[in-house]
Amino acid sequence: MSGWLACAALVAVAVWVLRRVLAGYPASSLGTLAPREAAFVAAASEAMFPPGGEIPESGIEAGIPQYIDGYLAAVPPRQRLLMRSLFFLMEHVTLFFGAPGRGGRRRFSALSQTQRQAALEGWRTSPSNARRTVFMALRSLLTMGYFGCPAVLQRLELSPMDIPTPVIEADLLYPPVGRARDGVLHTELAPDPAPVLGADAPVHPDFRTAPR
Amino acid sequence: MSVSWEGEGEVRVFAEYQRDFSEEADVAVVGSGPAGAVVAYELAAAGKKVVLLEEGPPVVPEEFVLDGSLSMTRLMREAGLRTTSGTIMPTMQAICLGGGSLVNSAMCVRPMDFVFDDWCTNYELEATSLADLTPHFDAVAEFLGIAPTPEEVWGPRNELFARGCEALGYSSEPVERNVRGCVGSGECFTGCRARAKRSMDVSYVPAAIRAGARVLTSVQVQRIRTEGRRAVGLEGQVVEPFTGKPGHRVRVDARQVVLAAGCMATPVLLQKSGNLANGSGQVGENLQFHPGVAVMGIFSEPTHPRFGATQGYQSLQFLRDGFKMEVLWAPPGVTAVRLPGMGLDFKRHIASMTHAAVWDAIVSGKHSKGRVRARWRGLDPSLSYRFDSRDVPILQHAALELCKVFLAAGAHTLVPGLHGVAEELHGEEDLEVFRGEMKAGQFPLASTHAFCTTRMHGDPRRGVVDPLGRCHDVDGLWIVDTGIFPRSSAVNPMFTAMALSHRAAGAVAAA
Repeated sequence: MSGWLACAALVAVAVWVLRRVLAGYPASSLGTLAPREAAFVAAASEAMFPPGGEIPESGIEAGIPQYIDGYLAAVPPRQRLLMRSLFFLMEHVTLFFGAPGRGGRRRFSALSQTQRQAALEGWRTSPSNARRTVFMALRSLLTMGYFGCPAVLQRLELSPMDIPTPVIEADLLYPPVGRARDGVLHTELAPDPAPVLGADAPVHPDFRTAPR
Repeated sequence: MSVSWEGEGEVRVFAEYQRDFSEEADVAVVGSGPAGAVVAYELAAAGKKVVLLEEGPPVVPEEFVLDGSLSMTRLMREAGLRTTSGTIMPTMQAICLGGGSLVNSAMCVRPMDFVFDDWCTNYELEATSLADLTPHFDAVAEFLGIAPTPEEVWGPRNELFARGCEALGYSSEPVERNVRGCVGSGECFTGCRARAKRSMDVSYVPAAIRAGARVLTSVQVQRIRTEGRRAVGLEGQVVEPFTGKPGHRVRVDARQVVLAAGCMATPVLLQKSGNLANGSGQVGENLQFHPGVAVMGIFSEPTHPRFGATQGYQSLQFLRDGFKMEVLWAPPGVTAVRLPGMGLDFKRHIASMTHAAVWDAIVSGKHSKGRVRARWRGLDPSLSYRFDSRDVPILQHAALELCKVFLAAGAHTLVPGLHGVAEELHGEEDLEVFRGEMKAGQFPLASTHAFCTTRMHGDPRRGVVDPLGRCHDVDGLWIVDTGIFPRSSAVNPMFTAMALSHRAAGAVAAA
């Protein structure tokens, strides 16, 4: 009898652990990121890029989750798996190595903003090269997403410039990807070179509107 | 103005492959990057029937993606997320017509004579001194119009570097590049929308087509065919652009096969072809990189970093000490990744980019080595690499000198981005840290220059190819990419690979 009770207790604990690890995430409108991943990316974005400061846009306002959702869809399966593993690790590692403060042993996305930042700071400044490398992988994704926002680029005066593109001989040879050679976009040369730009060059039209 | 493309030469693209097919040629060239494009053109111009095979598609400027990471998912193998194991280090290889030349900063730097003297002496190479190779460097330079970066597109990032070097009495000069009509957009790494960069897809490849070469894009070469000890052709498969989904089978019969797939892909192709050309045991060995260290400096005045040649200025002052300093600019998101801080502090550092410049040093890394191995499935390489502690002092020295140049140029704050070093440095007294003992793990390394995995050596027992790129063990098989370097070129490797390829073309034509 006691054996059955022990088994039942173990099963109950396992269910509780699994639910704590895997369940309870809100539904996500994103196409590629699973709800757990979307919750983690949103939480990490706000920790890395909170509202306010010298660039007002927060990570969420800059659209980092949407950016990473699209990026994840674009990378090959092996890299996608690695990224998903990264999100899983970072979301759950705080269950075992808790963030500072009360209630620090929760999933990353369930932590307070201060605790999230402290947890990430621990990875960033860790004496372990491996942990710092993991952090850099995450920061790379989030930062690229942040800079994917036209409004952020505009504030930093780093928007791509509007450059006239001459038509050179090679442009009469190659069609856009997916089209046959009868789909080459140009039939005549327009070789006039673009003018030398300057610091005040006009912004590319796709990056003039903000936010995106 | 219209242009007609006449003659046998043509380019074929993915949408045109309707069935399995075969080709015949005098010479089949694998890879359309700098080395492959040069040899393809030279051989076609010499009257040879040339087939040039490229796994990636041609990419037209209307398809250039200005976002750095999204661009890499399309133009780089493994979406630009390739890393070494051992010492974990990001590295990249392009997958598009023109190879790395479409997405590099067009730096064409001739190594100094001591590099080739080392190669000749220690690797038993005949006729491979700088003087021997100068006619080949000159021929490539003339074809591409290689010239120093013009002053009107230096922009503050490059000008400040020049000012700092001058103040310290260090040699420096505008970088020679394969660019005509640069507008200073700083977009070299995502494709030149101004069509100023003379990447291979707009220079040597069209010239090869004009000379009669047939260019098959979106074809992945999977095996080198041999009969006895002679290469007789290739086998491969059409692959869908960007997804790599396999399609029709392709077979090429050729009297000569030239491999220019890059130093990370060529060894895999040889290994997948039955460990071909590996009597020396050196295929895939000796992998070397130019690990880089970058420092950001913040100035009082705006630097307008988006304007100016991507890498327009350099200093060869410390080349013999093992490193080269240069200006660097990359998509802003990439540049910002290594900035310190978290939350609002991180944002504060990002905001300082309007007044910042980033300069880097590439280190010869001659003690550090790795290897390339084929994976069980596919043609992506497994890369292992170990950064040797003997190269750490060179990294330290490089970081120190970069900081000194920044201070001499007037920077008030330095952001070295190194673990265990203060996140901001403000003066000469703060640089003492670089004079003490440091460890490799403190440096977040990255490198896009790779070489030596099919090294040339005069002794067939110790190298894969001879000085002309001819495989010691297999007749009719040549290698011309950076894998044949016996050791680091000390400078950016593209120009050297093109010069060696230009020389090899003459030998292939005569074979």
